[in-house]
Amino acid sequence: MTRITRRQALAGIGAAGAAALAKPNLARAAGGEVTVWWSQGFYQQENKAIINAMADWEKRTGTKVNLSFMTDPDLITKLTAGMQTGDVPDLVHCVTADRFLVPRAAWNDQLEDVTDVLDTQKAEFIPTALKASRYYNAGQKKYSIYSVPIKCSTVMNNVWRPLVQEAGFTDADIPKTQDAFYDFFQVVQDKLRGKGKRIFGLGYSMATKEADSGNLFAAFLVAYGGEKIVLPDGKLNIDDPTVRKAAVTALDRLTTPYKKGYVPPGAINWGDVDNNNAFYARQVVMTPNATISVAVAQSDKADQYYKELVTYGRPLGNDGKPMLGILAVSPCFIPKGAKNLDGGKALLRDFIQPESLNSYLKETRARYLPVMMKNIKEDPYWTDPNDPHRPVAVQAGLIQPTLPNWMNYNPAYAQVLSEQIWIQAEANITQKNMGIEQAVDEVAARMKVMFEKYQIG
Amino acid sequence: MSLARTARLSRWFSHTTVAIVSIVLLLWTLLPIYNIIRVSLQAKEEVLSSSVLPLAPSLIAFDTVIHQAYWLLSTFWSQMGNSFYIGITVALLTLIIGSLTSFVIGRMRTSKGWMLTHAALLTYTIPMSFLAIPFYSIMGKYGLINNPIAVIAVEVTFATPYAIFIFQQYGASIPMELDEAARIDGASPPQIFFRVYLPLMAPALVAIGTYALLLSWNEYLYAFLLLSGGSVVTVPVALGKFLAGDEAPWNLLMAAAIIYALPPLIIYYGFRRKMTGGLTMGGVKG
Repeated sequence: MTRITRRQALAGIGAAGAAALAKPNLARAAGGEVTVWWSQGFYQQENKAIINAMADWEKRTGTKVNLSFMTDPDLITKLTAGMQTGDVPDLVHCVTADRFLVPRAAWNDQLEDVTDVLDTQKAEFIPTALKASRYYNAGQKKYSIYSVPIKCSTVMNNVWRPLVQEAGFTDADIPKTQDAFYDFFQVVQDKLRGKGKRIFGLGYSMATKEADSGNLFAAFLVAYGGEKIVLPDGKLNIDDPTVRKAAVTALDRLTTPYKKGYVPPGAINWGDVDNNNAFYARQVVMTPNATISVAVAQSDKADQYYKELVTYGRPLGNDGKPMLGILAVSPCFIPKGAKNLDGGKALLRDFIQPESLNSYLKETRARYLPVMMKNIKEDPYWTDPNDPHRPVAVQAGLIQPTLPNWMNYNPAYAQVLSEQIWIQAEANITQKNMGIEQAVDEVAARMKVMFEKYQIG
Repeated sequence: MSLARTARLSRWFSHTTVAIVSIVLLLWTLLPIYNIIRVSLQAKEEVLSSSVLPLAPSLIAFDTVIHQAYWLLSTFWSQMGNSFYIGITVALLTLIIGSLTSFVIGRMRTSKGWMLTHAALLTYTIPMSFLAIPFYSIMGKYGLINNPIAVIAVEVTFATPYAIFIFQQYGASIPMELDEAARIDGASPPQIFFRVYLPLMAPALVAIGTYALLLSWNEYLYAFLLLSGGSVVTVPVALGKFLAGDEAPWNLLMAAAIIYALPPLIIYYGFRRKMTGGLTMGGVKG
């Protein structure tokens, strides 16, 4: 009889242990479950809405859904790790992935092409949402569909009506055009300060972190004619005189009020939540925000929601004409290496049925807008004239002209946003007294380096 | 001016300088803690106000946390349990592995034992965050993602080298004659370990146990990376979720943070007496 040595016995125990530990993983793959990672909601209803939607799909298909909620930064970090190691979920929804993950993952061929999923509802999606689903794959040297739009939003302006009234004005006094609109709140601040109130007129986010500052700058850049900073063929166009002038004006219009004391000094450190909190604390008279969440979060306080909080969309251009706006589109996507690709696609196909999406968005209290006009046309909920906020957001995001963010044309712009170079320029102007022209020069030089790395075609 | 007067003035100047520097340092250290307490006593709307004192202080935030009456805190105590489970297990495993290793290397005079200590310390040349992806990969292969064992394994890996190093340094101060005396009296190596070595190592054990506990108690990166589901996450990961929304209730966040900080404080100050007790226990008895 062969005698087993102690070393052989230990190796055998080790191998058996490893096999036992590996077993659950294999079981998961064979079990036909779908693993879903989802951006944590801003309030409970958002999570509940998706839990209900997944439970409904589980019931109808008999396929188990392993659903995990994570904050956007955690989700992106975890997914980046997962894409390196091959351990990825079967379906992901991440609100800020449209800028911080999908463009470069698509470029690096790390995402599944979901054209077949999107095609099932192609006729329903609004044109900007369709454009926002398209990314460039450097390996295949072509644009394709790597994300499916779920919801969208555009920069809105939130105003405290009682504070405007306290300054001696009414809603009708608030100007409609870009410069006059924002300048008005400087006057409101002066009036309220005259009454002894420690208050700021403008709640501009100006921190080199998270998304609000970048959204605000992009809105201003487009407002002053900078929409062609990146062309649809992916080429950088920063040296175009119109674009450059727009960049200079946008930086000037954002930084000058700060330097004059019309924006809280702490705004250069605000995270996405902090302008909301400053607004709720009535530290600022108005604040721009990416969605109507400022009002929606207060919907259980009827007086505030219906009487005190006013939501304005994009002002008109200084020429009195409607302006373009950036539409931020939140994506669902499937990383390459998903263990249950068919399951992930089936779930996504089901989820983007117009009725399903509409029901989900309504359950989330409509913080985000639908990406399908059918929802707007067929469901009066979105245009309810008794609601002071939703129809305004619909008008700004879905009726007025919009364009996708520039990383859909070239992933280099995702790096521009990740590195917050525009906001860094704001900081250089406000903190280091750098000239605006010089700040734009620095941004342009940095952008050219970034775009060198991402040559389209 | 007389010499005595000059000396008095110099002493006064020296004392005043020390006092001013101490006050500045004290304020610098205590201000963040004061802010945490202040915010936890304020209403949500008041958090960003410029008042130094809470306008209408209340314990509502603590009550909300204790009764899990906010959606992001609905499983707070379960998460606290996860933190305890991970923290205590990491501390125990680190102590067991560290003390046994240092005993074998230091007291049993294993050939080339020093190489193990040095090799273990080399792991500190690589920052913890750099190993996140390799660890994620390993845990994924073993099916341990979303299992607290994954976080425990990682934390023990990081805590053990330091534990071995400290135990060895501390153990070197315990005379070998004690081991030899015990051996002459017929004690086996396990008996020497449990009856001689461990009691004399008590201060170091307490220090390292506290270190390992705090390391895992405050861990965020590996906890969120390796644990996804709501039922297994630890408190730091759960508190991180507060910062995702457009209306972060800072008062609840701070109240939860204060409650979460209490157990390590209690453990640390509870065991601190043992630490000094161990130090004064001495090596020779009877």
